[in-house]
Amino acid sequence: MTDPEPASATLRPGARLALALLWLGVLLVAGWAISRHLDLSGDLRRFMPSARTPEQRLLIDELGEGPGSRLLLVALSGADDETLAARSHALRESLAHDARFVFVANGEGGLESFQERLRPYRYLLSPTLDTQHLDAAFLEAQLQARVQDLGSPAAALVEPLVPSDPTLETLALAEAWEPANAPRRMNGVWFDRAGKQALLAIQTRAAGFDPTGQRDAVNAIGNAHDDVRGANPGTIVLSGPGAFSVEIGGRTEREAQWIGIVDTIGLLVLLFVAYRNWKIPLLGALPLASAGLAGLGAVALLFEGVHGITVAFGFTLIGVAQDYPIHFFSHQRTGVRPWTSVRALWPTLATGVASTCIAYATFFVSGVEGLEQLAVFTIAGLATAALATRFLLPALVDPDLRDPAASPRLERLRARIARVPQPRLAFVVLALLAIGVAWFAPGPFWQNDLARLTPVPADALARDARLRTELGAPDVRYVIALQARDVESALQGSERIAARLDQARLQGGVLGGFEHPARYLPSVRTQRARQARLPDPQALRASLDAAVATTPFRTDVFDAFLRDVETARRATPLVPRDLAGTPLQVRLDGLLLQRDAHVTALVSLAGLQRPDVVARIAADAGAQLVDLKQASESLVVAYRERVLWALGLAAVLLAVAVWVALRTPSRAWRVLAPMALTTLIILAVLRACGVELTLFHLVALILAAGLGLDYALFFEHAGDDREEQLRTLHAVIVCSLMTLLVFALLGVSSIPVLRAIGTTVTLGVVCNFVLGLLIARHPHRESA
Amino acid sequence: MLKAPLRIEGEYRRPDEDTLVRAVRAPYAETTTIRGGEATIERRGKARTFSLSRVPELQGLQASFGAMLSGDRAALERHYTIDADGTHQRWTLHLVPRDRALAAKLHDIALHGRGAELRCIETRPVKGDLQRTLLAGAARAARGIDDAGALTALCRAE
Repeated sequence: MTDPEPASATLRPGARLALALLWLGVLLVAGWAISRHLDLSGDLRRFMPSARTPEQRLLIDELGEGPGSRLLLVALSGADDETLAARSHALRESLAHDARFVFVANGEGGLESFQERLRPYRYLLSPTLDTQHLDAAFLEAQLQARVQDLGSPAAALVEPLVPSDPTLETLALAEAWEPANAPRRMNGVWFDRAGKQALLAIQTRAAGFDPTGQRDAVNAIGNAHDDVRGANPGTIVLSGPGAFSVEIGGRTEREAQWIGIVDTIGLLVLLFVAYRNWKIPLLGALPLASAGLAGLGAVALLFEGVHGITVAFGFTLIGVAQDYPIHFFSHQRTGVRPWTSVRALWPTLATGVASTCIAYATFFVSGVEGLEQLAVFTIAGLATAALATRFLLPALVDPDLRDPAASPRLERLRARIARVPQPRLAFVVLALLAIGVAWFAPGPFWQNDLARLTPVPADALARDARLRTELGAPDVRYVIALQARDVESALQGSERIAARLDQARLQGGVLGGFEHPARYLPSVRTQRARQARLPDPQALRASLDAAVATTPFRTDVFDAFLRDVETARRATPLVPRDLAGTPLQVRLDGLLLQRDAHVTALVSLAGLQRPDVVARIAADAGAQLVDLKQASESLVVAYRERVLWALGLAAVLLAVAVWVALRTPSRAWRVLAPMALTTLIILAVLRACGVELTLFHLVALILAAGLGLDYALFFEHAGDDREEQLRTLHAVIVCSLMTLLVFALLGVSSIPVLRAIGTTVTLGVVCNFVLGLLIARHPHRESA
Repeated sequence: MLKAPLRIEGEYRRPDEDTLVRAVRAPYAETTTIRGGEATIERRGKARTFSLSRVPELQGLQASFGAMLSGDRAALERHYTIDADGTHQRWTLHLVPRDRALAAKLHDIALHGRGAELRCIETRPVKGDLQRTLLAGAARAARGIDDAGALTALCRAE
């Protein structure tokens, strides 16, 4: 191994600082460059294992959690009803053509959604004629009603329709297309029952899974409302899974930011107190910063998009790299050249880094892209930090650091520690005890519902439930899925289910409403059946003449009607293609998913009370009620199983690597026992406290194990030499205090994810430190 | 569209400040309630609700009725330019809509009255026939009269 010692030995303090600042500058530029190319995706699907069950596939490939969870419920308040209605209208105008939204519904529209081109098809789309014939009696009753309409305040509305549509079939259709339980209307738009809030339902194109897309959508709505409201008073409230995830994401970010600031100040103070050199905080941060950037860069280079969770987990895991420069600083002292002290540490440091990297490499065999990214990130990061500490830092550090071995206070501490016995039997008992507690503690071991980690405030949930009922919005958890070979059989199936669901709805107590694709486009079979019931031109003309004769209408008014019926009778039934460009297409696309070889019809449910009954109805019709919550939890389980397998393999590899590096079983035991025991103790404590473990606990456990490995390696490395022991003690105290500071703050966070990671790592640091001293440390020679 | 003008009888009620009820008694029964920007038409137990924003002339009618009955000239002037002529015994108010959407559909409204009594509203749409609403004494006097000329005279109190 050759070092550029002669050059560095001549570096003056000014040059060293300049180089350190240059390094920082390079990092800033690199960070900027990477951030420009970084395609950070929040799409959870990339982080999950590939779907296996049909429910998982539906969840992952097609739904993004289902139509219900892409729906944002919007309530406008804080002004009189006319103003709110005007805002609701303006909001719809401004968002309806935004590509980020599938539809924006506020109760307006209806007739407008029925295009002139499709008008004759009303007789194929509407169910009216399923129970009615277009005969003289029906027409007469309808025409009498139209006369009364013309004498009513609605005359202006009805008059233009009468010549072509005397049965007002277009209005009947518009009503049929209303949401199942549409809210009340005031001033033409939806309001809540109290009439205080204007309501809108907006479906995003972005999946519920996609926090970035949801944030974008939520911001777009907020901005549009700001524009609409201007400087006047008024508030907008968004609800729904997307809005919640955005709100919680923001809260987490704010809290993490606050914690980050306190951490930074604390770390700076800690490092200054430990080394009495103001450059140490800067130099100590450089390897970790380099590690983060190297990790990001490597992932960006090897993968198409970087997952947000990779970054979050990755930065947590490379936290261990912060310790590398600390060990170096604690061993650097006057009279020893930096290159010499770093070279003395290098075998130990390299053993730690190499075995950790080998362990992380097992994530490669997990077959989950998110985990592979995590492996690349941590391996690249840790290797970079270690190499930077070994080959760059010695050139920059001031050689004349205080020698911790000269500190009397540290010596007193060491002497006290030296008197503590190291009974191996006690550790075995402790391990068995921990296993016992972890195993027998009551309560479920794992928490699979990731949403429980980012809980929605109770009042927000209550508000959401209220809005959902008012708007008749679909259930977030359940949806009926019907798989079919083609569109026609999917639509026929949808009609079958709809008929059964309607029965159940009318009986009451099962569900409040539902939405199915055939509601917007009946199957070709149904359209043909309706065509067959339409009278031929002569018959219709005769019935119409007979009907008109009994009314004040002139005889020549209804030619357009006769033409429309004849067009409908001869028309080719509508298929999804024909609806292109209409608002109907948007509704249909959300419920009829067409893929290469198959079609999935979705029936969304509202006000669901009896999932079991609906599940039976679905099963009888050859479909199934999909429980999206259950599907997403089963994905989490699959993911965790992969992680656990990888971790098992990692543990074996780690033990082998340490054994090979340290060459003797007794040294390997000293190094591995503390982290293994710590892991057991953490598990026992968490389980005893009734904590249900999540993926985030697992990641924290991995970090804790990595820290423990390093502490133990260095304690073991110090051997029985008193001064070496003092320097190592100093380094490990600084390292563990730094980690403790960061994670203890996370541990008191109000956000369960941060709390999970924080408490786990805090526990791990304390246990690892104590056990490292008790197990890994060699009893020192008092004669030294 | 119709062979003869439609003639219906009934009454207008204002149960409260914000509500206008139009109850038709003959030749069929129908009740329209206009309130909060919505009109609900009820006929033989079946109700249909629609927004006044889709029928601006109704909005104008509701507003002007309210303003007329409560004597709120300012409210009336928000919607129409007002031109009054005649004497206290025989007066006419011409209302021309200010709002462009309303003006596109409604030409003008003429209100005819005697003293404190509003006797007749003539609504002239941009398209279609003149609509005449005889009220109070004029409505009572119109019973049994079918002649168009006589009805016009009754309305205008000639």
